[in-house]
Amino acid sequence: MEIVVKIDEIVFEYGGQPSDDGENIETPPNVALDGVSIAINKGEFVAVLGHNGSGKSTLAKHINGLLQPKEGMVWVKGIPTSDEEKTWEIRQSVGMVFQNPDNQIIATIVEEDVAFGPENLGVPPAEIRVRVDEALEAVGMTKFAGNPPHQLSGGQKQRVAIAGILAMRPDIIVMDESTAMLDPIGRREVMAVAKRLNSEGITIILITHYMDEAAQADRVVVMNGGKVVMEGVPADIFTQIDELKEIGLDVPQAVEIAHKLRLGGIDLPKGIVTGNQLVEALTNVNRN
Amino acid sequence: MSIEIKNLCHYYGKGSTFEKKALDEINLTIEKGDFVGLIGHTGSGKSTLVQHLNALIKPQSGNIIIDGEDINADKSRLKAIRTKVGLVFQYPEHQLFDMTVYKDVAFGPKNAGLSEEEVDERVKTSLEMVGIAPELHQKSPFELSGGQKRRVAIAGVLAMRPEILVLDEPAAGLDPRGRDEILGQVKLMHEKLGITVILVSHSMEDIARLVNRILVINGGKIALTGTPAEIFSKFDELEAIGLSSTQTAYIMRDLQAKGFNLPNNIFTVDEAVATILEVYLHE
Repeated sequence: MEIVVKIDEIVFEYGGQPSDDGENIETPPNVALDGVSIAINKGEFVAVLGHNGSGKSTLAKHINGLLQPKEGMVWVKGIPTSDEEKTWEIRQSVGMVFQNPDNQIIATIVEEDVAFGPENLGVPPAEIRVRVDEALEAVGMTKFAGNPPHQLSGGQKQRVAIAGILAMRPDIIVMDESTAMLDPIGRREVMAVAKRLNSEGITIILITHYMDEAAQADRVVVMNGGKVVMEGVPADIFTQIDELKEIGLDVPQAVEIAHKLRLGGIDLPKGIVTGNQLVEALTNVNRN
Repeated sequence: MSIEIKNLCHYYGKGSTFEKKALDEINLTIEKGDFVGLIGHTGSGKSTLVQHLNALIKPQSGNIIIDGEDINADKSRLKAIRTKVGLVFQYPEHQLFDMTVYKDVAFGPKNAGLSEEEVDERVKTSLEMVGIAPELHQKSPFELSGGQKRRVAIAGVLAMRPEILVLDEPAAGLDPRGRDEILGQVKLMHEKLGITVILVSHSMEDIARLVNRILVINGGKIALTGTPAEIFSKFDELEAIGLSSTQTAYIMRDLQAKGFNLPNNIFTVDEAVATILEVYLHE
């Protein structure tokens, strides 16, 4: 399998700013990433979990070179993010969608916003037209192409933000809590788009607080205190209920119900993560 | 401290070509001591509605009556009304501004002209209520974690001793532990102080385990009202207006569809576990 993002032993610190006289260190540095290594395969859907301040957003910003590690290296498609001449190439490969939809949309018309990226890349106008249409189609926003963005719902705005990235033809999309400010339907819309793009071959790295979203990923990475503390398929991660609660996280409700039913004496198989799996398992138990 | 809303309407951009009806003939009553959940998709009118409750927005038509008093009738009463109704906005930590946690929380009571002792007492009890330890009182609020900052901001509202507390998505953007801390404290305050709480949230799971009554708003109108059991069994109605029931409620519904004989009103984890165990233990 081809590795598209390789993160090797990276360390990153915030703060540690020298005082005005330039001599003393005013605040001690705050270690945000403490030796993180992750390899992400082409076409994978990876969810990154962790409480506020665990380092997940700092990690995300390393993937397209917005931040550079103090120690260690990050490669995107084999290019080190420290190579300044390749910064634009990397940012074209790795698109970022952030939390607040209102901070990411700049144009006054949806399709102009989507065109902003390719315009800046110097893509010829005819090609831009094609890319914008395809990108809006891919996120289901074609009929809003001529609308001003402020009339859209949060979920629709995030889909426009994703379209703006798609128009740059990325290989990887990093979603940094992109569903955190959305209502349930907005979350569902954005997750559906992410999953569809993933099925078409785009690698998705989803940073989230929502356990039900992480449960849909191929692989889950759990961060705590700037380190990767767990890594595996959702079924393996979410069965470690006590460990997750210990670091301030949660499990999907289906997992919690399954866990408590097992404690109550119902013999359920391991690895139940979603509601459908739980319903299926309970149906089978009943038949025995 | 009951709240009565009568025929409330509000338009944004009234008279312009962008005129949008944000609230459309809202009529409702909230009883003293209620813990009410207000749900609706983005843009449904939730925030516009709650901003009317302490006269931040004045009704373009209709009335807001709190404890028998029309809050917009007499301008000189506004200060007293805003003390009664504490409003915690979305991302309230953006409103922190003072040098220390203590001073930030003291700002409101000081401006209300209270004595130094009274201010001190209120600051300390409010911070204790939101679970901020005394050793953090002299820290800059900007050195705190996201969840702590938000609790300090809520303490600033509590220090005004509101009888009605309105929280607009207090857990948005927090991790599960931060969320449980804030909501746990809100529940505790509701139980201990008997204040009326109105909670705006996108999390059906949080609403399900906290409130005793739900108001569903859609397109500026009250679409549904009822107990959590009544509301969360209306899957189709909720989905039609961009909401959903709880994860647990869907599991229970799917089990029913598979032929399990289960009651209709289960929407929290613990209830689900108890009911499923009972069904299994009886077989």
